[in-house]
Amino acid sequence: MDSQTSPYRKMVAMSVSSVLKEVGFDSSEREALGTLTEMMQAFLCEIGLLSKNYCELSGRSDPLIADVILGFVEMGFDFSSLEGYAKFGKHMVLPPLQSQQSQKQLSMLSAGAKQALPSYVPQHFPQFPDPHAYVRTPTHKQPIIDYESVREKAAVQKKDIEKALTKFLAKTSSTHNLFDTEEGNIFPLIAAKPSYPPYLSALLPQDQIFDPEDLDSDPKSLIIQQQKEHKEAQNAKEEQQQEEAMEEGEQNLNDSVKTDDSTQNNGFIDNPYLAATKMPAKDHIDVC
Amino acid sequence: MDREAATEQKTGDTIRPFKLAHQILSLTGISFERKSIIGFVELTVVPLKDSLRVLKLNAKQCRIYKVFLNDHYEAHFQYFDPFLDVCQFDNDTRNLGVYTFQHLFAALKTDPDNSAGELVVTIPHEASHLVAEGTALRVGIEFSLEQPQGGIHFVVPQREQKDQKELTPAEKERVHLFTYGHQNSSRLWFPCVDSFAETCTWKLEFTVDEEMTAVSNGDLIEVVYTPDMRRKTYHYTLNVPTCAPNISLAVGPFEIYVDPYMHEVTHFCLPGLLPLLKVTTRYMHEAFEFYEETLSNRYPYSCYKQVFVDESYEDFHSYATMSILSVNLLHSAVIIDQVYITRKSMAQAIAEQFFGCFISMQNWSDMWLNKGISQYLCGLYCKKSFGNNEYREMIHSMLQDVVKYEEEYGGIILDPSQPPTPPPEGSNMAQSSQNKHEEKFYFSIRNLHTMSPMYIEASYKKAMLVMRMLEHRIGQELLLQVFNKQLSLATNAASNKIGSGLWGHMLISTNVFTKAIFTVTGKDMAVFIDQWVRTGGHAKFHLTSVFNRKRNTIEVEIRQDATSQTGIRKYVGPLLVTLQELDGTFKHNLQIENTVVKSDITCHSKSRRNKKKKIPLCTGEEVDMDLSAMDDSPVLWIRLDPEMTLLRSVVIEQPDYQWQYQLRHERDVTAQIEAITALERYPTPPTRAALTHTIENEQCYYKVRCRAAHCLTKVANAMVASWAGPPAMLAIFRKFFGSFAAPHIIKQNNFQNFQHYHLQKTIPLAMAGVRNSHGICPPDVIRFLLDLFKYNDNGKNRFSDNYYRAALVEALGNTVTPVVSVVTQGTPITAENLSTETKLILEEITRLLNLEKALPCYKYTLSVECLKAIRKLQKFGHLPSRPLLFKSYSQYGHFIDVRLAALECLVDFVKADGKSEDLSYVLDLLENDPDPGLRHKLCQIIVKNPPFKRGFKSRLDNPALVERIWANINGGLSHDTRLRCDLVDLYYTLYGTKRPLCLPLTELAGLMNLTKPDIKKIKTAIPKLAHADNPNIKKETCIPKIKTEIKESTSSNVIIDNNMDVPMNVDVPVVTDQKLKEEPILDAQMSDIPVPKQEYYSDNSVSLPGMGQSGPIGFEPGMFQKETDATSTSSGKHKDKDKTDSSGVKMKKKKKDKKKHKHKHKHKHEHKHKEKKEKDPNKVKIKEESLLTSTIASIKEETLSSGSSTPSPNTASMGSGDIPMYP
Repeated sequence: MDSQTSPYRKMVAMSVSSVLKEVGFDSSEREALGTLTEMMQAFLCEIGLLSKNYCELSGRSDPLIADVILGFVEMGFDFSSLEGYAKFGKHMVLPPLQSQQSQKQLSMLSAGAKQALPSYVPQHFPQFPDPHAYVRTPTHKQPIIDYESVREKAAVQKKDIEKALTKFLAKTSSTHNLFDTEEGNIFPLIAAKPSYPPYLSALLPQDQIFDPEDLDSDPKSLIIQQQKEHKEAQNAKEEQQQEEAMEEGEQNLNDSVKTDDSTQNNGFIDNPYLAATKMPAKDHIDVC
Repeated sequence: MDREAATEQKTGDTIRPFKLAHQILSLTGISFERKSIIGFVELTVVPLKDSLRVLKLNAKQCRIYKVFLNDHYEAHFQYFDPFLDVCQFDNDTRNLGVYTFQHLFAALKTDPDNSAGELVVTIPHEASHLVAEGTALRVGIEFSLEQPQGGIHFVVPQREQKDQKELTPAEKERVHLFTYGHQNSSRLWFPCVDSFAETCTWKLEFTVDEEMTAVSNGDLIEVVYTPDMRRKTYHYTLNVPTCAPNISLAVGPFEIYVDPYMHEVTHFCLPGLLPLLKVTTRYMHEAFEFYEETLSNRYPYSCYKQVFVDESYEDFHSYATMSILSVNLLHSAVIIDQVYITRKSMAQAIAEQFFGCFISMQNWSDMWLNKGISQYLCGLYCKKSFGNNEYREMIHSMLQDVVKYEEEYGGIILDPSQPPTPPPEGSNMAQSSQNKHEEKFYFSIRNLHTMSPMYIEASYKKAMLVMRMLEHRIGQELLLQVFNKQLSLATNAASNKIGSGLWGHMLISTNVFTKAIFTVTGKDMAVFIDQWVRTGGHAKFHLTSVFNRKRNTIEVEIRQDATSQTGIRKYVGPLLVTLQELDGTFKHNLQIENTVVKSDITCHSKSRRNKKKKIPLCTGEEVDMDLSAMDDSPVLWIRLDPEMTLLRSVVIEQPDYQWQYQLRHERDVTAQIEAITALERYPTPPTRAALTHTIENEQCYYKVRCRAAHCLTKVANAMVASWAGPPAMLAIFRKFFGSFAAPHIIKQNNFQNFQHYHLQKTIPLAMAGVRNSHGICPPDVIRFLLDLFKYNDNGKNRFSDNYYRAALVEALGNTVTPVVSVVTQGTPITAENLSTETKLILEEITRLLNLEKALPCYKYTLSVECLKAIRKLQKFGHLPSRPLLFKSYSQYGHFIDVRLAALECLVDFVKADGKSEDLSYVLDLLENDPDPGLRHKLCQIIVKNPPFKRGFKSRLDNPALVERIWANINGGLSHDTRLRCDLVDLYYTLYGTKRPLCLPLTELAGLMNLTKPDIKKIKTAIPKLAHADNPNIKKETCIPKIKTEIKESTSSNVIIDNNMDVPMNVDVPVVTDQKLKEEPILDAQMSDIPVPKQEYYSDNSVSLPGMGQSGPIGFEPGMFQKETDATSTSSGKHKDKDKTDSSGVKMKKKKKDKKKHKHKHKHKHEHKHKEKKEKDPNKVKIKEESLLTSTIASIKEETLSSGSSTPSPNTASMGSGDIPMYP
């Protein structure tokens, strides 16, 4: 039997077989049993359907025995012997419907933990599908964010980039070999080429890129600035506290602050190197 | 004047029979293309006596055209330079002892403070009425410089095609020039009185191309266009009397940056570096403020200029109102290590403005005062800005440097001009001992131009230390008052005219200074000066101590055993001993009178350490100590002269636990450093604990911590058998720098904490020195280092990590140990058979070195260390030892630090495996490299790591090398005193003061002559005047290239192709062709004829046309006679040569030689056959080519002629040689 067949049909087939056994058959051909099962199923369905129709016709939702009888009548089936058969025949009792042997879903497709059935759903009911089918589908793995591996990864990446770059450069320019043999130069050194002027590349390094503010940072002036602010804040406090008494002292402090500023803000700079070049005097004769 | 009367000694400012009042220096034709300068000076001279007939001035390598007095009297002049052939009477001793004497003799011959000079101007009779005491006489001199070898440096790119005359616009952005010199060497670029004592006011004019800026001394008055509007003239005046050595010039397309704090200060740098300049000079104004405040005196000049130039001679040099600094001092805000060096250099340069430029000296021997005072002031500034620990550490290391130098070479005498006043008794002994000290050196300390640069460097340090000692003797405040007094006097004098006679106040001297101290403080420091300034050497103390329990005393014994050793002398006087006891610090002043002094010092503490009591330190702090290590003595540690008030070295013997206490608890950094040095000898667990404690102690000065780390390496190596736990310092490093989550991964760099930054650099370096019981570096350590590379992350850092990474590379190099080779010797080393660790190291190094090609870091620090590491790998047999890599990195055009590193490796290679051609490659650079600073440093490297040891056999040790070095010191380096003296150092290192062993004995020299005839042909020269009597020939043109092609046949037929050409309109194919022909021949000859010919007199003594004078003009008296004698004797000796000993022939030679001497640096070997061709004039064919040339400025037409070098018969009569005219 196919595993795919529904349990109901399985039950029908079992009941057909038990009837056949009762009647005296020891075995049956598969095709015959199949046909009988099919007929049995069709019959049961038909009778069920008719009974339901009659019950609904009478305005009920659940069929009564009378509806079934009407159904048999409608089908033209003589059911008089049925009662005798049911009462006096020695019938095999079929095992109760087995709780569904859970068919293993293929693990390759599972994603996430399946939700358990709620308590009001009988256990034989099929399980919920994978959560991604009805909740959400994670499209990527959660990144690993522990410090060690992050550093590791960054380090490896950096090294790989550097390696690739240097390898490329070494391949595309003339190299120097540390060994005497030519073959297998696995440590090629890029040949040194003088640059002109040599100091420029040395003093303006390109190995790192810094923020402009770092390049221009002036820690000392920052500290002085902070101190000044601090002082000013203090002064303000003092001012509030001893406004009248300390008038002279305040004056001095303010003065000093002012002079500091004035040196910075002076726009005009008197420096001979900034002065314009003079035109030669007409009568002036240059000394050779 | 009364000062001199008192001392009754001629000093630098009074020895000359005239005074300088004013000098005009005007340089007009400055050509970068031709590296030439045309100039004019006018000296206003005030004769001090009516009988003045001869003016001796200084001028070197200048071509003098004309000298005239008061504009219309032409004067005869004569020019000679003894440095062109120092040992002229002596051609084969090759003995440094003889050389030293001759060298001093030569230096004195031109020393302005000896009333001598290279340029002797004779005042003609018709102008004698101009000379009158007190009347100004103007001496004008026209001169030019062509391709100067020293004194002034043109930074121009090396050309690939020689025919390219014009500079491209891109090149024009970089070319610049600046003047430089070793001590008083201004004579190299303009005629002057090159003395520190001859001050005068100046007017300076420089005409330069439009895009150039000329920076010079004094105030820039105006800049005026020339009439053609293509050039500008910078006019400077310097009204403060200044001596010629303090005059300087820098010309270039500079970027100008006016200091935002002080508008009088202007900074100059080369294009593209302005952002760095702004950062670098950010705090410079603070130094000014500090000095002005400290000296309570205004800055003496009205302006100050800083020029940063490439290929500088030294890091910085201060001149009047300006300093010339190396471009490599510039840094950006993300650099840490360089900042300290740069700020210190700039501060020192400013300090020298006060003492050194404004205040000059009476004699060169008073230089110690200016150097000492300026360094002392700079030290105070450093103390203020970098901290007291830094200052003390600096003093300590200076002291050690001086001690080291003196013990190796001899005692440094700061002022050798005057012997110390002998003590009343035993004066003879003192005298002899003083003499003894002087004789010890292999150079003369009697002149600035003969002293070893190492000696000068050490003497500067000593000067600083002596000044600091003075501070201790008289107190800082009073010492500053003395300085203030000097400055005030000088300021007053500077504002007066020369007639006031006050200019002498601007000169400082030992005597003046001593007197000033006496006036200010009332203390007579004469004894101190005698002891430390006029006598060389330092004291050396050896202290032992025993605790006497019964009497509770400590018996201290101080010995001075080594007083007879080099550089060490006996000290008599007070000496401070500090005892740290349980109850506190106690000072004891002991009087040292003998070589052995014993003293019982009663202990204050009634030694009971069981009482839990805090122990007071000298700083007043009270600390808990673990006293379990002590025995029953209450003394924790002993120190001798803790304040470094003497020049001394100290050996203290005390048990290891006392050193450990000293390291842990003494607060003075010098004591800690000494303790660390001493603890190297005690590799025990307590030492390890003390060192570890120091490294981890955040309160401790970072340099002490770094030293402790290095010491721990040595301790760990010594106790390798019993060492427990991971390799030394691994735990400490992880604790400080390991990241929180994963201690084996280093944190991202953050160099905000200065101390940690240095520790982070130092600990890996120290760890790399750790060795396990097999003598190799533990694999743990190598892995640790490689991990540091791998996880290095500077992304979040505000500072550059280039120095840190360089330290890591250095560490990697330090892990390398000699290869343990299973493979038999002789099999080639290939990449495959390297050990895994070597492979990893090599991979890291090659990657970093390659990466620097694309992404260079600041100053190529990584390349520098990579090269050194590769050399280490070669040295220890991991890589084949090959010089090629280093040669390529040492070429001109690379960054100087890289070049120096490569040269260091190369010199090391030469020592280990080098062949003669490798050594000769190094020497070629030494002789010919365009960068004068590099040549000096290279020579220092060689001296430090000589190719072979004196007295040991080496295949490099051959006569050719002797001759080569000798040729350089004897004349080849007449233009660069520093390099010449460097080479003297080298010669001494290789051969000592005796004749080199590789040379045959003198008696056999005659035999040698038969095979090498040309060595003996070097003859001394006789002064000779090329006499031009054709009015059209204004002057002898300087000929940049003289090619002499000599073909020597067996019959000694000589064909001389004497071709002179001038680059302006040179016939290029001819030149190159000739060169090609010439070079192989000359090279071949080079090997057996290594001595270039040197002349005593140069060709520059050209008299004026139209003067009609005949006969010789003004020889150095007696010189001629001597030389003739020498020549004839020497030529007589070598009878196979120079048969024609007539003076006439020699005259001819002279003429020829004169022409050539100028270019001998380029073509040293071309003089060799000079004599030979004169031998048989009939066989000499001379082709002459003369070319008409004109300067770019077309100022004058110059006619070139090789006529004077033609050995025609009529030149035999001296001075009447007529030069054919080629219009």
